[in-house]
Amino acid sequence: MLKKRLIIVLTFLDGVLFRTKKFIPDYRYTKNFVGLYSIDELIVIDISKKKFSNNFLDTIDFFSNNCFVPITVGGGIKNLDHADTYFKNGADKIILGTGSIVEKNLIKIISGKYGSQSIIQSIDIKKNDNSKYKMSLDSGKNLSEINPLDAIDVALENGAGEILINNVDLDGSLLGYDIEIVKNLIKGKKCPFLALGGAGNWQHIINLFSETDISAACTQNIFHFTEESILSAKKSLREKRINIRN
Amino acid sequence: MKIAIVDVGIGNLGSLKSALKKLNIPFTICNDPKDFTGVDKIFLPGVGNFKEFMKKLQFKKLDLIIKDSVKKKIPIFGICLGFQILFEESDEDSPTKGLDLIKGKFRNFNTLSAKIKVPHTGWNECKIVNSNKLFKNIPDNSDFYFTHSFYLENYLPENVISKTNYHLDFVSSVFKNNIFGVQFHPEKSQSNGLKLIKNFIGEC
Repeated sequence: MLKKRLIIVLTFLDGVLFRTKKFIPDYRYTKNFVGLYSIDELIVIDISKKKFSNNFLDTIDFFSNNCFVPITVGGGIKNLDHADTYFKNGADKIILGTGSIVEKNLIKIISGKYGSQSIIQSIDIKKNDNSKYKMSLDSGKNLSEINPLDAIDVALENGAGEILINNVDLDGSLLGYDIEIVKNLIKGKKCPFLALGGAGNWQHIINLFSETDISAACTQNIFHFTEESILSAKKSLREKRINIRN
Repeated sequence: MKIAIVDVGIGNLGSLKSALKKLNIPFTICNDPKDFTGVDKIFLPGVGNFKEFMKKLQFKKLDLIIKDSVKKKIPIFGICLGFQILFEESDEDSPTKGLDLIKGKFRNFNTLSAKIKVPHTGWNECKIVNSNKLFKNIPDNSDFYFTHSFYLENYLPENVISKTNYHLDFVSSVFKNNIFGVQFHPEKSQSNGLKLIKNFIGEC
């Protein structure tokens, strides 16, 4: 049986590991350490103003040489050259955000070279004044009128392999995932979905897996990046009969 | 020992290189037939599109050198798309011929049912069908990382090492004489994956 995945998302500001709240850097971690041996996958995102700096590329290289799980890299990809740079430095997959929402051909171009399985489209969602989720653009700075469902359809048509539902409002909140929106966005879709934003305890992750058809739960804040906490999360999940890798 | 990694210029060899470095196994990146002189073992990694990959391989005449190496009994190890092209054909885009070294054809999971999520992505178990030195010291039903949309049909049972369940029991690793192949990514499958790579070098 295919296992549910637990994925750690790490955001880097000028080469330093930060956590974020509502997409704004909030707290600098002093230890650049991740318990590498029981996480299922790693997502590394550059949130610096200046992208593709050597600092960040060295960070990708570090993870690529030290943890033998799939590494997805994102931050500022607007063309094939950008994607090439991340792949060349050790990314197994890349994550696209505003870049592929604005430039409709970007997914087609990148998947032509690296394959669909190497592309995750991030669907950054945020509620508007009428409490309706819309696509948030430019790292959470701008709210568009684009319906997330339409953005998902376009991404899949163009060849994205997986979709990340990234909830800007819940980023860093520790309030739990918005299960309803995850359910609505996944319904009837035929690719793996990942959810990020809100996980504050193991029960939140259990709820996400029990109540939705999500393939992976992503989290950045709740792990203190030690092997123990990842193992304890997995233990809790297994106790609730969530099919997860040891 | 000279270890070759076939490089057709598509996709990322980074994680395989990191894995070999971790295991202290020196390797040579080979993208031209002349690079293969004196080679002892060959890794054939691959991601992306079957048709594109075969085209690049043929353009660089690497298909011939691989077939020649197989004739010379040099062990070869196909990974992911590099595993798929060892076989006769794939339906990706339109029917495309592979290297035709092992019997079998690839079809998309979504031809089984439109409801199946593709790609099959994540960690899944390998159930050993025919024990093989490639899996030496790796427990049965160990998890490996998969990401692919096609599965093997019309294969010979004697070539199967392991099967994995995703809507059906599909073939996840094979062997035939000196040819080995896995659908998953050992280089992204932590300790079990590293063991498997080590086994190919040391045991196969």
